[in-house]
Amino acid sequence: MEKVIEIINLTKTYGNGRGIYDLNLDIYKGDIFGFLGPNGAGKTTAMKIMTGLIRPENGDVKILGHSVVDEYEKAMAKVGCLIEIAESYQFLSAFENLKQIARYYPDVDHKRIDEVLELTGMYKFKYEKTKKFSLGMKQRLGLAAAVLSRPKVVILDEPLNGLDVEGMIDIRKMILSLAEKEQTTFFISSHLIHDVELTCNRIGVIYNGRILNVENTDAILKNYATLENYFVSEVERNGRVSSSAS
Amino acid sequence: MAVFQAALLNEIEKLYRKKKVLVAILLSLAVIVIGQLVIVGVRSGFGLRGTGSVEFPMLVLSVVVNTILPLFTALVTIDSFSGEFSQNSMRITLTRPISRFKIYTAKITSIVLFILGALLLLLVFSMLAGFIFNANSASFDSLGRTVFSYLVSILPMTVLALGIVLLANIFRSGIAVFFISILIFLAFKVLGLLFSQYSSLFLTTQLDWYNLFLVNSFPLAKIARQFLIMLGSGIMLFSAGFYIFDKKEF
Amino acid sequence: MKFKKKTATLVSFTVGTLLLATTALADIASKSGYEELKDSIKLTAEQTSEKYDSFTMDFSMALKDNGKTIVSNNEVGKFDRKNSASESLSTGLSLNGDKRSSQSYSDKTTVIHTSAGDPTFYVTEYTKERKEEIFSNPFKEEEAEDLEKIADALVGSLKDHVVVAENSDGSKALTGSLTEVQIPSLINAVASFQLKQEFNGNGNQESSMPHLTKDVFVKEVTGSAKVNPDGVMESILGTAILSGKDEQGTVHEISIEALFKVKDINSTEVSKPNLEGKKVIKNVAKDYSDSEISNPEKFIGKFKNDIVIEKDGKFVKVGERTLDITKMDNINVAGRYSETFKQGFENYASDFSELAFTAQIKKDQRGNADFEGTTKSGEKVRGNIYFSEYDGKVNFNIDNMNSPYAGGLMIDSSFSPDLD
Repeated sequence: MEKVIEIINLTKTYGNGRGIYDLNLDIYKGDIFGFLGPNGAGKTTAMKIMTGLIRPENGDVKILGHSVVDEYEKAMAKVGCLIEIAESYQFLSAFENLKQIARYYPDVDHKRIDEVLELTGMYKFKYEKTKKFSLGMKQRLGLAAAVLSRPKVVILDEPLNGLDVEGMIDIRKMILSLAEKEQTTFFISSHLIHDVELTCNRIGVIYNGRILNVENTDAILKNYATLENYFVSEVERNGRVSSSAS
Repeated sequence: MAVFQAALLNEIEKLYRKKKVLVAILLSLAVIVIGQLVIVGVRSGFGLRGTGSVEFPMLVLSVVVNTILPLFTALVTIDSFSGEFSQNSMRITLTRPISRFKIYTAKITSIVLFILGALLLLLVFSMLAGFIFNANSASFDSLGRTVFSYLVSILPMTVLALGIVLLANIFRSGIAVFFISILIFLAFKVLGLLFSQYSSLFLTTQLDWYNLFLVNSFPLAKIARQFLIMLGSGIMLFSAGFYIFDKKEF
Repeated sequence: MKFKKKTATLVSFTVGTLLLATTALADIASKSGYEELKDSIKLTAEQTSEKYDSFTMDFSMALKDNGKTIVSNNEVGKFDRKNSASESLSTGLSLNGDKRSSQSYSDKTTVIHTSAGDPTFYVTEYTKERKEEIFSNPFKEEEAEDLEKIADALVGSLKDHVVVAENSDGSKALTGSLTEVQIPSLINAVASFQLKQEFNGNGNQESSMPHLTKDVFVKEVTGSAKVNPDGVMESILGTAILSGKDEQGTVHEISIEALFKVKDINSTEVSKPNLEGKKVIKNVAKDYSDSEISNPEKFIGKFKNDIVIEKDGKFVKVGERTLDITKMDNINVAGRYSETFKQGFENYASDFSELAFTAQIKKDQRGNADFEGTTKSGEKVRGNIYFSEYDGKVNFNIDNMNSPYAGGLMIDSSFSPDLD
């Protein structure tokens, strides 16, 4: 299968001992990869390096064959992402915010902007300034921005943050349909284990900056009753922490 | 190049959608109006002519180039860098398929365009005011020199902006950058007065370099030196600022 | 690739820094025309005050209204440093149309002055040789350095308006001109206001000076200077044109021209005017700056003033005060004070009417002394005595003089010499 994301020996440490150590991971085309781990395990650090917000100390990330360190523009050409909190320019409307982003992609026109606003249920707020948006609305707008350019790879850090149940369902539907219809590859981090179980078809567990295991969701659910059980046992097997990790 | 254009367009859009630009325009116009009122007052009160039609734009330039223009350049620059750092909105641009160098350059280009716009606005309106309210003293030569003086002022202002860009990349807080900029600006002004033989080292002196173009003899050597000093410091500040911007973590 | 970007950034930073450093150094090293002008003025002041044996300075200025001369002035000063002699000739046209000229000569022992209106030669002779320098360097004054800084700051970016042209023999011509656009508006406004006040301030009716009331501005300032191969300024000419309208709306262009020349270096001859056959008034000058009175013996003798009262609306002399200085040598003073009254006014006499005193001149206080005296009845009195060489009088004050002098006697502490 075609490798879409290659994480090679990725290392980035912080002064307080946190960080990621020698991370290796391959994501294949069509994957909806769930990146699972407790707070502070290094999920966001890894994803920030993948999207060029942080430079790695060592190693590299290749997206569609291009290194994010050396060929950033090429690597990011077909990537959409949402890292931590969805940011927007508060003095611009939802539409204008998306238009700012659209300028970087030659084939995104106003029609496509309307499309993603419709897709994320934000169309009715098209001309409203994002200053007054709730966290959930901002998150939806962030997701709209992430998929705006019809990316081949979408990197989402805690995409369901601040969403209500309805929102979670909408977004999950969107992810699944994009993966099915457009063969979009997703790399999603979350601490909501149940949701990851429902959405992702491959799971990687990160703990204390190291990858513990990567497995298909189907294979996991064959051996464990829930994903949560798998997660706890994985962590325990590595002898580091007791029961609940979420 | 297309992505650079996109980034530049974005920066310009952000710039003009903010109230700061509107305030800058209003303040510039206020300077012209107040200046003209002062001139009229001086004329009727003291019996002095004050300024003629061509001298008025030069008076306006000499005032704004040392006051509101650096002030608004600082505000816009700090907004463009520190503002987006603190709100994390820099990520919106950073995660697009565009290199940091292009983002950095686009931001600076938009600031330069802002300065140019402000200068042109001031030129047009001060000329209008100059011609309407003052005795005609224009000649083709003096008119040309006036326009040229406004245009060359873009250079020192750009160097100033680059200096603030560097500061904005070093210090996290926009307010800190603002006050440090003002302190440095004032310190340079004072040092330039005290040590006038070394004044070309203090970059605030170059703000008045348009005066060189008014000299009849056209002191080419001096102009070239001033130009190279600005070019050198510009390159230096640009590279230093970019070095930090490129290493920054968001 | 990563390495390349870092290198490129570093290289461009270095290039920028070097470019800045080298041009800034070159800029600091290069002298603007303004600085050359300053150097030359300083050198000229230094050479003329310290090095040249003799030289001539020629200063002339003229004020013209639309080309018509209103005021002019010309001063020629010849200086002979070796002999500390100088000669000056001043001619001019004053504001009310009078022509005037005067001439003076000065050396170590003599000052001679005469003018066209009064052809008498006033000669002052000095008993002591004067030590003053005939021409002192103004840049050696204490404040000169600060003033120079202030001037530099004021001139600011106008520095570059001075253009230097070097001739093949090493001499230089400095020129500069500022038209209205080039003069900063603020400077123009302040200068024209100053000039306007200056001109209008002494604008009495007979004055030929136009009274500017409207649209006053400095139109043009030009200057040129010649510097000889040694760097000494030979001549400097400055012109300023002030434009304005008077109450009738007539436009006046008032030009002020000033020309300063230094010439005949080491070949100037200062000659004492020939006084033969001329009307001469001579006097001997005293050196008032000394801390001691020269030949203090001249104060020995009697000094008098009148005792006056007011009676029936008139001043009436009722007697005389006499001060008899018997000893005076710049250290010790001794004398007697007495009052004599005319017949019919003897009643005014008091205990103070006759007293003897001694005093010591205070150190470094020329001719000033506190005295102590004794009256006829043996009572002690104190007071102050001052010998004024300037007007040849003596001031004599008795402390607490008011009470015994009641009865309308007018107090006069100034005594004139009794020379008859």
